[in-house]
This record gives sequence, C-alpha cells and structure tokens, in this order.
Amino acid sequence: MPVLQIEHVKKKYGDFTALNDVSLTIEKGEAVAIIGSSGSGKSTLLRCVNNLEKISSGTIKINNETLVQTVENKAVYPPDKEIRRICMKTAMVFQHFNLFPHLTCLENITVAPTHILGKEKTVAQMQAKELLEMVGLTHKADSYPAQLSGGQQQRIAIARALAIEPEIMLFDEPTSALDPEITSEVINVIQRLAQQHMTMLIVTHDMRFAKDSASRVIYMDEGKIVEENVPEKLFANPESLRLQEFLKSIR
Amino acid sequence: MDITYIQTLMPTLWAGTLQTIKLFVLTLLFSLPLGLPFAIGSISRVWPIKILSKTYVWIFRGTPLMLQLFFIYFGLPAFGIKLDRETAAIVTFVLNYAAYFAEIYRAGIQSIDKGQHEAAKTLGFTPWQTMRIIIIPQTIKRIIPPISNEAITLVKDTALVTAIGVAELLKAAKDAVNRDVNITAYFLAAVIYLALTFLLTMLSQKLEQRYSRHEKQEV
Repeated sequence: MPVLQIEHVKKKYGDFTALNDVSLTIEKGEAVAIIGSSGSGKSTLLRCVNNLEKISSGTIKINNETLVQTVENKAVYPPDKEIRRICMKTAMVFQHFNLFPHLTCLENITVAPTHILGKEKTVAQMQAKELLEMVGLTHKADSYPAQLSGGQQQRIAIARALAIEPEIMLFDEPTSALDPEITSEVINVIQRLAQQHMTMLIVTHDMRFAKDSASRVIYMDEGKIVEENVPEKLFANPESLRLQEFLKSIR
Repeated sequence: MDITYIQTLMPTLWAGTLQTIKLFVLTLLFSLPLGLPFAIGSISRVWPIKILSKTYVWIFRGTPLMLQLFFIYFGLPAFGIKLDRETAAIVTFVLNYAAYFAEIYRAGIQSIDKGQHEAAKTLGFTPWQTMRIIIIPQTIKRIIPPISNEAITLVKDTALVTAIGVAELLKAAKDAVNRDVNITAYFLAAVIYLALTFLLTMLSQKLEQRYSRHEKQEV
C-alpha cells in the first residue's frame, strides 16, 4: 500500500522552476533516500509533502488522502483544517533540529500529543519516556535543548516527530548540521527505525548514510528525478552521465 | 535641611507618591495586555486589521503624551465624553503605553526563528496555537528588558499629569516649594523617584534571570 504518492508535481518560484514534473511513490515500510547537489529541489520536494511549501501543480496523496490535486492547471488544496489532518500523517526532522527551547526535552515530545492529539498528560508522558529510551536519552528528560549536544538534540527531534505517530517520517538533511564524529548516533537511530519498517523519506548529503540506510535511492538534479534504484546498483553503476559526475564530484 | 521641616513635608509627599504608584500600576495593568492585540494585529495578513493596528501605534507614538492628555481631558468633553482628572490620566497613559508595548511585542514575536513556526506547523499546530504555546512564551525573556525600560520611563511620565492637576508626587512637591519658598520638597521627590526606579530595575533583573533558566548550559 502506498503511503505517499507524488504525481507530476511542479513548484515554481516566480520564473524559477524548483520542481519540474516530479512523480514518486513510496510504499509502506520503505526507506527512500534523496540525493543531489544543493538547489536540485530535494528539500523543496520534502517541504511540499508536508505543506511547508505549496506546489504549483500536480497531485500529492498521503495515506491515500488527497493533500492537493490539480484542477484546470491549478493546484487545489482543501481547507486548512483538512490539510492539517492529512499532514499529521507525516512528521518532519529538520536540519537545524528546531526544538522548542523553552520546553524540556520531555515537554518537547509531549507538547503535540497533548495539545493536538488530545492525549492525557500522563499517557503522553509515558509514551514520551518510551521514545526517549529508544533514542537513548532517558537521562535528559528534564534538560532543556540548550543543555544538549547537536546529536542529542537531533535525537530528541526524532522522538518528538515520532510522538505524533506518523505514517511517514520526513528527514531534511538530519546530519548536515552535526560534527562528523557524532553523525553516527543520529544515523543509528534512523537505521533502527528502518529495521522496524518505519516508512521514511530522507534527504541527505551523506552518501554512506544513504547507501547503508535506504532501500531505494533517488538522484535529483535541476528539479527532476534523474535516476532511482536500489543503493547497491545506483552507487556502483550509475546510468546517467549527471549522476556519474555528481558521484565523482563528492568523492 | 532640617529634619522637622522634612517631617512636616512627608505626609503630603507620601500621599503624592501613592497617587503616582496608583497611576503607574493601573497603567501597566491595562496597557500590558492591551498591547498584545495591536502587536498581533500589526503582523496580521488581514490588511484592514493590520492598517488599523499600525495606525493606532503610529498616532500614539507619534504625538506628545502631554498633547494626548490635554486632548482626552480638555478635548473629549466637546464630544460629550467627560472624564475626571484621574480617569483621564489613566485612560491616556493606558492608550499611549499600549502602543509602545505593541511595538515591543511585535519585535519580540518577529525575532523568533522561522524554524519554530515550521516545527510547530509540521506537528499539527494551528497558527494561533503556535503563537500561544510556542512563540509567545519564547518572546517573554526577550521583551523583559525593553518593557522594564518603558516601565521606568512611565514612572517619570506620571509627573506629566501635574499639568491637569492630578495630585501626584511632583504636584505635591511643587505645591510645597511654592508655599514655603524652599526647594527641599523637590529634592525629596527626586529621591523617591530614584527609589521607585531602583526597585523596578531590581525586579526586571530578577524576572530576566527567571525566564532565562532554559538557556543555562549544563553545570
């Protein structure tokens, strides 16, 4: 069953075309990595999926519900309330974590379940503690984000995203703001999610991470999907010239 | 300066001080919350609300407080609204300070990183919930210094109401000086104003410490 269906999506900023006819389907349990140079549109695609950006035309379905469709060449969105409901099936992990600095780590994780999902505080806290254990930060429950290292903050951010029980997790360069020696603690958490068959869409610059964590890798350039394949094949035998050059340039 | 003369002055000065403090407290009590809708209004995407809020702020920050005081006390009766001295003073100060606080709130709200709005949005928060639960609590720490600055200005601005004859501290001092041809009362009034602003400075430092708890690094 597809969790995410993206069909012929275009996104324009004035004259600039950020996404040019992108189609992509993600099945339940898949971990898909998107690679490509800066400005290739990979982050924009992710941001369109959870409505941080509006598309110009095309269709996006999340969990078989239509977030946006195109009528007479114009993208049509449902009312805001409906958008929020549909997008709650996705959760995002940001490059710069974006934790709420005035809340403790535990509160960062419980704030959406209590205020948005209407869960009892005690229930939300119990689930948050399980999530903290999963990311290995039980002892940081009552610390504030400023008291944590970057890697720890990103693990809290992952726990916060998981707390709304999404069908698909979106990662926007989750390791790019981290020192190289601590990226592994974040990657380990994401790989554990992959083993538990969490559906994931991961935008990354880290090719080893893409190779080791993803079941499928997509290469984007100039707003288009140029090539996609299982990681072993995509990295070993890139078909398109552009991907060959990209892989050469980052080595 | 002789002590017995000071003792005879103190009851009237003390009564004036109470009137000053009353004006100060009532102004803050009403203008602090009143600033918020104007702050949110001036960043609203609904343009009539935005224009209304910005115009309000422009008028009250752009004209002298003394003029506003005269307008409300002497001018409004022409439109059938007659306020007594004290009410006119409080209304003027509340309207005026709300405009300054609105600007402080607006700047505070807009200083919060865009990532905070985005994170809240992806977790399912409505814009209003984001404002209430995520953004405004974070602005409190940042707006305490400019707010205490305004509060200290307010202590001194209360002296303006002498102009419409409200019996606050400066008026009490002035009356004593005119009566006795002795400037001791001015000196005492200055000491009292300084004591009040000193207390406010201490209070604002305490508040700042309290609201920056979450920024402390691991010890």
